[in-house]
Amino acid sequence: MGAFETSVEATIARWFGIDPPNDPARRLASELAATIEAFERLRGTLAFEDEPSSFEAALQATKEGA
Amino acid sequence: MAGNWADLSLIAAAGAVASGEVTSVDLLHACWANLDAVNPRVNAVIWQEREAAEAAARAADAAVRGKQALGPLHGVPMAHKDMYYQAGKLSTCGSALRKDFRPTVTATVIARLSAAGAYTFGGLNMAEFAQNPTGHNKTFGDCHNPWNLPYITGGSSSGSGASVAARFNYMALGSDTGGSIRLPAAACGVTGLKPTQTRVSRYGVMPLSFSHDNVGPLARSARDCARVLSVIAGHDPRDPTSAREPVPSYEAAMDGDLRGLRIGVPINFFLDGADGPVVAAMEAALAVLVTRGATVSRFELPLMDAIAAYGGIVSRVEAAPIHAEWMRSDPQAYGAHISGRMYPGYAIPAAYYVEALSRRGPVLRAFAAEVFAKVDVLVTPTIRTCLPTLAETDIDHGPPGTEHRFMAVSANTRPFNYLGLPAISVPCGFDPNGCPIGLQIAGRPFGEGRILQAAGAYQTDTDWHAAKPPILETVA
Repeated sequence: MGAFETSVEATIARWFGIDPPNDPARRLASELAATIEAFERLRGTLAFEDEPSSFEAALQATKEGA
Repeated sequence: MAGNWADLSLIAAAGAVASGEVTSVDLLHACWANLDAVNPRVNAVIWQEREAAEAAARAADAAVRGKQALGPLHGVPMAHKDMYYQAGKLSTCGSALRKDFRPTVTATVIARLSAAGAYTFGGLNMAEFAQNPTGHNKTFGDCHNPWNLPYITGGSSSGSGASVAARFNYMALGSDTGGSIRLPAAACGVTGLKPTQTRVSRYGVMPLSFSHDNVGPLARSARDCARVLSVIAGHDPRDPTSAREPVPSYEAAMDGDLRGLRIGVPINFFLDGADGPVVAAMEAALAVLVTRGATVSRFELPLMDAIAAYGGIVSRVEAAPIHAEWMRSDPQAYGAHISGRMYPGYAIPAAYYVEALSRRGPVLRAFAAEVFAKVDVLVTPTIRTCLPTLAETDIDHGPPGTEHRFMAVSANTRPFNYLGLPAISVPCGFDPNGCPIGLQIAGRPFGEGRILQAAGAYQTDTDWHAAKPPILETVA
């Protein structure tokens, strides 16, 4: 197991008290590296939006007939 | 009528009861004849309450004889994904952890269907806690595709898709967090509608991801879905997240006229790795829509990397706290593919989650501004590939890498959950294994009427939605 996987498992155990329940859990946890890379690629592409309720407003603003 | 009462559409069944052409008891027995013959192989229904259903059917028939006012679903038997709470009745959520759970509340959507005259006779198989796109279930057994038993039904509303296809009922509620209505609709050859986020109340419905969860119907046709949506949509004071948007008459708008409808076909993402028979079926469906007056343009959709990245973490993070106690105390009660997929959600930083949610609005605005300036609806395959088998997607017992085949099933449906857009899946053909192929039509927020109109027009000119699984040929 690599350093990344060890770190993920330690984080989950420390913060939630949950151990990997099976091998698929370990494999899928290792794929969090791809999640990080996906977020890295998005850096600088969108401005920060600080109004968390804006999704409902966006539904209204973009709705059929608006 | 000639043939089997269970073959009627939902609307035809309700109309036949109302007119006195058939009794609700007859409908129920026709559905049960199919169920008794086929369910042992399909495993779509996991519990039944036949005495209560018979009593409800008799009461419905008495109301007809008494010339009482009848609702739009009067006398129609139903069964739903086993996560719609009915006070005092079993609601297993597909899991050993809730195998004896009897909630104390009734879901608003169930109450609205009942008020419209429908009643239930049992609970339907589903992915554990609505968390897989295939139909595997460790506790109640896998649900099998009525068109070809070794193949997946799609999930997580596996029993909903399989039961409607196998004529056990006329409509079943599903839930859709990443495709869980549209996938089983596509895989089982029925029609499934995921409404706009907030369109339908989720009160009394098992939660998975409060940002992405949706309630909607699987039925024999788009028109049937329109009837159901008209009943269940609309604000619910018990679900403050439900929209106050007026509910139009969806059926009335389904006039078959597609002149002026602008269809967009994405050239990126949705066809990556798509199988030939699936693409061919989509192209044939587009040709049908064009003959009705629609136009087609093909272009690249914006922001797909952001939609995939952000949408990919929201439901995982939101499911994590719901299941934390069980993941600590009884993780082996879950299928390995369920607990294994939930586990990484505990390591995703809160800042990533907030970023994903806070950018959901801006992403939707930017996506809509660019896409819906060009087109009214988007058309894609619901599932990119020919259906895999249960064995090919069995993470619990398969080799490493099986999870990638498993996750590919929902690649085309997940983006519309993050965007919150309505989307419908309609049958549009069969793959070389005899399994159905689904066509996905997505529209603007609260544009259910538009996608239902397109789907309804398509089903006027085609009969894929009326096809009946060969397994039913053995039913007397």
